[in-house]
Amino acid sequence: MSEQPMQTKTDSPPVQTVRVFKRFSLGQRWEHVLLMLSFTVLLLTGLPQRYRDTGWSQQILATPDMVYLVQTIHRIAAVVLILEVIYHLGAGIYQMARRKLSADIFITWQDVRDAGQMVAYLLFLRKDKPTFGKYNFEQKITYWFIFVGIGIMVVTGLILWFPETITWVLPGSVVPASKVAHSTEAIVAAIFIVLWHFFHVHLERLNLSIFTGKMNEEDMKTYHAREYDRLTGEKAGQDGGKQP
Amino acid sequence: MDRRWPRLILPIWFAAALIAAGLYLTVFQPARADQPHQETEAYCLSCHGNPDLSMTLPSGEVLPLFIDAEHLKQSVHSPLGIECQACHTEIKTYPHPPIEYQTRRELSRAYYLSCEKCHSTIYEKAQDSMHAAVAAENPSAPVCTDCHGSHYIQSPNQPRSLVSTTCSNCHGEVYEKYKESIHGSALMEEDNPDVPVCTDCHGVHNIQDPRTEQFRIDSPELCAGCHADAELMSKYDLPADVYDLYKLSWHGVDVSVYKARWPTIWHDSAVCTDCHGIHDIFQTDDPRSSVNPENLLATCQECHPGVGPNWTDAWTGHHEISLERSPLLYYIDVFYSSLVPVVLWGAGIYVFLQIVHLIVERSRRSLR
Repeated sequence: MSEQPMQTKTDSPPVQTVRVFKRFSLGQRWEHVLLMLSFTVLLLTGLPQRYRDTGWSQQILATPDMVYLVQTIHRIAAVVLILEVIYHLGAGIYQMARRKLSADIFITWQDVRDAGQMVAYLLFLRKDKPTFGKYNFEQKITYWFIFVGIGIMVVTGLILWFPETITWVLPGSVVPASKVAHSTEAIVAAIFIVLWHFFHVHLERLNLSIFTGKMNEEDMKTYHAREYDRLTGEKAGQDGGKQP
Repeated sequence: MDRRWPRLILPIWFAAALIAAGLYLTVFQPARADQPHQETEAYCLSCHGNPDLSMTLPSGEVLPLFIDAEHLKQSVHSPLGIECQACHTEIKTYPHPPIEYQTRRELSRAYYLSCEKCHSTIYEKAQDSMHAAVAAENPSAPVCTDCHGSHYIQSPNQPRSLVSTTCSNCHGEVYEKYKESIHGSALMEEDNPDVPVCTDCHGVHNIQDPRTEQFRIDSPELCAGCHADAELMSKYDLPADVYDLYKLSWHGVDVSVYKARWPTIWHDSAVCTDCHGIHDIFQTDDPRSSVNPENLLATCQECHPGVGPNWTDAWTGHHEISLERSPLLYYIDVFYSSLVPVVLWGAGIYVFLQIVHLIVERSRRSLR
């Protein structure tokens, strides 16, 4: 064996620098984890309560103590979510006021145009895929749908938690109205997340930037060309929107 | 000769036995108590038709022994030929065997056992009742004859109000409430055939303790027996969907879960009677009704202490969602029933188009 010359790599691969772009701060990444966990726990403990008259729910809520336990877990997760919402609003407003956070998340007319072009593209009425900024309109829809949804869930949830107190201030009819809103909104949100959000981050492409905080150049050029242009001063190219 | 006598002994004995049997059957026949058709009534009444006939029991109580012949003829038993000895089985002769009961009550509690001979199914049901259960400690607990009478037994529900007045002999306080209620007043004043008398809710012979978890959890269905009957309710212009809507309500869902899973665990979620009352149910527009708008808050506060005046609107009542009654709920309902399909179909179609486009693009590239 020793006679044989060691095989050495003569041609080392050309050095390729992969540029990565910072996309989310550490705080934002933790916020997503908290949101994800509290949302899941709230859904899992909420569904049996919503469908109490069904057999499978009664398998889970097998004793009055279980009902109490599931309610308690639901409320603890709700408190976590409410604290997260308060932090999110506080930090967002504070950072935006100090110009440390861009206002990219707000919906503009550009998003409406992007959506129109994207639908045209998907219907083969248009050859080129539109280019997007830091957040494309799909992501903004996700954010604002959940933003409004959580707002509804928190308000109606608190009404259902303290109905006897709240009706000293608000009319009594808010209680049954909250019940309808809370249980319907939850189901819509859950289906929407699975259908819309999971498709876009898991199937269309695997987008883990909310966990890593970073996005590589390739994805930036492909999916967020306008943001790439803005950050680098380069042109992502006329074909920026096309798949490489 | 010696040989002829022994041959005659057998027929003589046989004839003697026949005469004895004949005598027994003719003279002692009334003593056979298990025969329903007897001729004892007239015989017994020859003494017991005397209005002054009575005796004093060891307790000092006077036991009247007079039987009113006219009255007796109108009872359900006498015309059928079921006469004295059907029940008074131990009295076969005159003079009668001595009475060994100390009190009149003791006598009643022994004699009602005769009812079982013919009415065995009902007797057994009654043995499972609340009344039988307390009889060991409480000698006043009713036996058959306390409700039905003894000698002058009539049909127990002619008129129907007789049922409730019979119960009132002991349950006077409850009866006073019931009599004023929408059910009771319709019964007493109009002899209404539809309103419940005591036994319609409590059962007839196997009356159970109405204070148990099981009775409570079953009670909404009891009310639904009439109040979910569309034909019956339409007679009185009452809605028949109250029970179905209750089952969808917060209280109703809770109760249905307890009924299905934990019927033996006490629960506090409101059943019909918690709001409407039990024996003192009135029409909702009656100022005495616990669910009259004037009294509703106080009724809610029995379970929800400290709630404010807005609270009563949190209860949507036994009503479908409607713009007139619950506008906020109506608009929320409209909002979601339009939003849900728009959002979910919109998202679904968009994602579907994206998948189609991805497949087409990839196919094009690989075929290029």
